[in-house]
Amino acid sequence: MARVEFDNVTKVFEDTSGPIVAVEELDLDIPDGEFVVLVGPSGCGKSTTLRMLAGLETITDGEIRLDGERINDRSPKERDIAMVFQSYALYPHKTVRQNMAYGLKLSSDLDDEEIDRRVEEAARMMGIEDLLDKKPGSLSGGQQQRVATGRAIVREPAVFLFDEPLSNLDAKLRKHMRTELSRIHSELGITTIYVTHDQEEAMTMADRIAILDNGELQQVGSPKEVYYRPANVFVADFIGSPSMNFFDVDLQHDGAGSPALVGNGFTYEVSDELTELLDASETEFVLGVRPENVRIAEDAPTGKSISATVDVVEVVGSDNFVYLDVSGRECRVRTSSEIEPEEGETVTLTFDESDLHLFDRNSERAAVHGHSRADHEAQKTIAKEAEA
Amino acid sequence: MLNETRRTKTVLYVGLALFALWALIPYIWVLRTSLLTNFAAISSDTGYIPALESLSLVGYEQIWDRYNFTTYFANSLIVSIAATLISLLFSIPGAYAFARLDFPGRKFLFYTAVFTIMFPWIVITIPVYEVFFFLGLINTLDGVTIAISIFVLPQTIWLLQGFFRQGIPENIEEAALIDGHTEIGAFLRIVLPLSAPAVGAAALFSFLTAWNNFLWVFVLTSDEEVRTATVAIHYILGSDVLRQWNALMAAVVLLVAPPVIFYGLSQRYVGEGLGGV
Repeated sequence: MARVEFDNVTKVFEDTSGPIVAVEELDLDIPDGEFVVLVGPSGCGKSTTLRMLAGLETITDGEIRLDGERINDRSPKERDIAMVFQSYALYPHKTVRQNMAYGLKLSSDLDDEEIDRRVEEAARMMGIEDLLDKKPGSLSGGQQQRVATGRAIVREPAVFLFDEPLSNLDAKLRKHMRTELSRIHSELGITTIYVTHDQEEAMTMADRIAILDNGELQQVGSPKEVYYRPANVFVADFIGSPSMNFFDVDLQHDGAGSPALVGNGFTYEVSDELTELLDASETEFVLGVRPENVRIAEDAPTGKSISATVDVVEVVGSDNFVYLDVSGRECRVRTSSEIEPEEGETVTLTFDESDLHLFDRNSERAAVHGHSRADHEAQKTIAKEAEA
Repeated sequence: MLNETRRTKTVLYVGLALFALWALIPYIWVLRTSLLTNFAAISSDTGYIPALESLSLVGYEQIWDRYNFTTYFANSLIVSIAATLISLLFSIPGAYAFARLDFPGRKFLFYTAVFTIMFPWIVITIPVYEVFFFLGLINTLDGVTIAISIFVLPQTIWLLQGFFRQGIPENIEEAALIDGHTEIGAFLRIVLPLSAPAVGAAALFSFLTAWNNFLWVFVLTSDEEVRTATVAIHYILGSDVLRQWNALMAAVVLLVAPPVIFYGLSQRYVGEGLGGV
């Protein structure tokens, strides 16, 4: 078990068209035993980060430390890590047992009996005892995934690295394996760094999520923190499914009444408590509100209602996803299944002030989050973390 | 009455069988003639399928007794096996470097190597002779082996680098590094065993090219002691003395036999190697 620190880590690839910055000045401190998920779109630098930690990519600048020791120049085998690849990377000419035992044979001085005991134990943990004498080619994708994870477990390394290990599985199996991996992490308590492009995977598995875009770290925090208090428009858009609705708004004080956010085709009144939290000189914002926080309600309070036309209604069983048009901008709403408006119908939308997020329109950084609920949730999370 | 699908299939198979027979006739004829007696081989009464009494191994005995075939075959085997081993020894690491490593001039070197495959050897015989003469390698088996190894090398590099690039996922090597191998260890213990089909295919091509090579043996040797079977048959066929078709065809069969046996042995691997799996 180990603490992992990325200190100002940069990776630049030299290409014929010029240098490509894959990871830029990454600072990330992962305490011992934590499950951290690196998440982001393709090409954001998450896999490169993982590969630098594994020793499969050189580090252009900065330092990676494992338990306080700099490991930049150590070869992969000297780092005490185990990695599960997206393609599983099992040795096709070796049996499952040989695949799992290989790392131990090479990197430890355990005798064959002890190695065999550990392989059997890991196989039991992954439910693959029956497959030990088979070759990887005769296994299904899910079984290969288990073997790959088993091969990592058996090493009992300081750090587990997972590089999109569930991407090649079907949706049902992926959900099942997600739970399995979380269970294994809580049983073994080994520091785990997991890379995925799937925000749902990140939200369900992580102790903390690190969101990357274009090689830069956007935000690190618990799943609730990044959901309720996204640091910028990118994080707000990336986390959550369907993704957050965004509208360009101007903050206007008309003197007499409440201040209001004025967008294209709607005005939304906000409280003084909210505006007090904003920089007085800023008036141009991006309003963000999650589909699950928007309600279709005819009795919406005046000043907080937005008129919209229904475009498409998607029925998914438990919920309905309603796609609406608000003066030319798409707005997504997640409603309960009994609310099913007609396509083309004009409806009134509303949401609570506590659910809105305002981002600075120029820097795209978060200016304020709907104070009451977000703060309440964040405080609850902080209290829970302190307790843990 | 055959239905349409079966009829189409039958026509297809009959067509294929006729085509196969057409392609095989010369080979069958060589084999048939090599097994005839001296008289039956030149008699017009011998049918397409000869009678049992006209069959004999006399052709094989004569060609073996009359000519120094033991030496020729030994030379062919030495040259072919040595050239195969030498070309593999250099082409395996070479191809791996072209497939996996990024070094200055990689593309230039690779395309230069590939270009030499397309280059007709005949146009460089004189400079090659000069070089080998200067090195004192004329009329030696070493010289012939070196020449053939060099000219086979680009072909095996090209074949193997394609396999290393597409047939072995990089992740497997990376898994081996994480498991505790050095880069050389991962190559020798993981990549190479997985490359057996491609190495088998490359070995077969090298062996066939070396065994069938006429030009370099012909240009670089003149003494009988260092002559290979391919060139020896040219001299036997070219001489006006012998017109015993059974013995000549027996020589041809003997010449073709080793590559066929070699292919039979490596076939299981070669198919996979060429498929790039």
